[in-house]
Amino acid sequence: MSGKGSRKQKLIRAPSDLVSKLSREAASQGKTLYSYVTEIFEQATRAYEMKRSLKEILDTFEVLDVPKEAGTVYTPRDILDYLIQKTYGENGEELQQMWYHAGKWYGIYLREKFEQPFETFLRLLQEGRWDLNEVNINKSSERIDLKCVSTFISQERALLLQNFIEGAVYSLGYKTKEKNCFKGIIRLALSKM
Amino acid sequence: MKRKMLAARLDLADKISDISSRKGTLYDYVNDILEQAIRAEEIGLSLKTVLDDRWAVKAMKDAGFILVPGKILYDLTETAYRRVGREKMRMLWYETGQWYGHYYGDLKKFEAAVKSCFWDVSEFKILEENETEILTCLSSKFSATYTELFSKFLEGALAALGFSLNQSEVSKGIINLKFVKSLDK
Repeated sequence: MSGKGSRKQKLIRAPSDLVSKLSREAASQGKTLYSYVTEIFEQATRAYEMKRSLKEILDTFEVLDVPKEAGTVYTPRDILDYLIQKTYGENGEELQQMWYHAGKWYGIYLREKFEQPFETFLRLLQEGRWDLNEVNINKSSERIDLKCVSTFISQERALLLQNFIEGAVYSLGYKTKEKNCFKGIIRLALSKM
Repeated sequence: MKRKMLAARLDLADKISDISSRKGTLYDYVNDILEQAIRAEEIGLSLKTVLDDRWAVKAMKDAGFILVPGKILYDLTETAYRRVGREKMRMLWYETGQWYGHYYGDLKKFEAAVKSCFWDVSEFKILEENETEILTCLSSKFSATYTELFSKFLEGALAALGFSLNQSEVSKGIINLKFVKSLDK
């Protein structure tokens, strides 16, 4: 950003210890505190545009590469839906099994890689790349209720994703007690094995 | 807790102040932002790097790309190819590519998207040479069928960006396409 107006400054109150830490970090990078704070605030406003807090973004950063390493790939939604539509009628059960096994493998990968694999899996579902708008989790001592909502997903793809989730959570030590899948809403009740 | 004054660029300070008014106090919000910046530095990253990566994920989502287990995608493609037939499948991929060509609207942007999105592609480049765009795409993961369809996707995208296919060499895992500027563009 340039222009006369953008050079004007404003003073903001901040905790003294944090300002000292930032000053040291800025100096170690050869920057002034002012330019360093400018960078930080720019990123904070960017995060806000993404409808996330910086904390949420940092929390999910460590799982960003999981899909790549765990053998999942991106594909255009229209292509995937077409492929499912053309194969589900005759191979529905086989496809569900395939997704279940892919989920199991995914769960094993997370188990090997993360200290809290179940929580990591939930974060991965929540961060948006599975075409879900909403992932809600309710935990009680005996069961976990998982509700995934998507406004884009076909019934067939929702069923396949449900199987994938079931496979993954099975590898993470949970079994399905109840399940329901209706028009883009997947509900699973899980319990520890 | 001791406090200090921090100088910030006016426009940014106003934005931060505006956002904080929806979340709580300005002081708490700034506190949280600075804590996260320090947290990022402690794990050896800048906030910009973290945000860039997260932005890329959002961009993929906005463009309609979704995740699928790789093996399943390749198997589904083979099954549908046998069931639906070559021409329909080629047309589907070509038209989808066209959509993405229009979506990105620029060759460089499309190239960048392919590089960041299709991580099963080990090499992807588009070079300009004597008014010809030379596209190379390599992947050891692609079957012959998938390679053929992916080449149609690329062809569709470049067609939408104003390039006509002039020469094509496609074999399992290897796509070499040459394009010239369309006359009507």
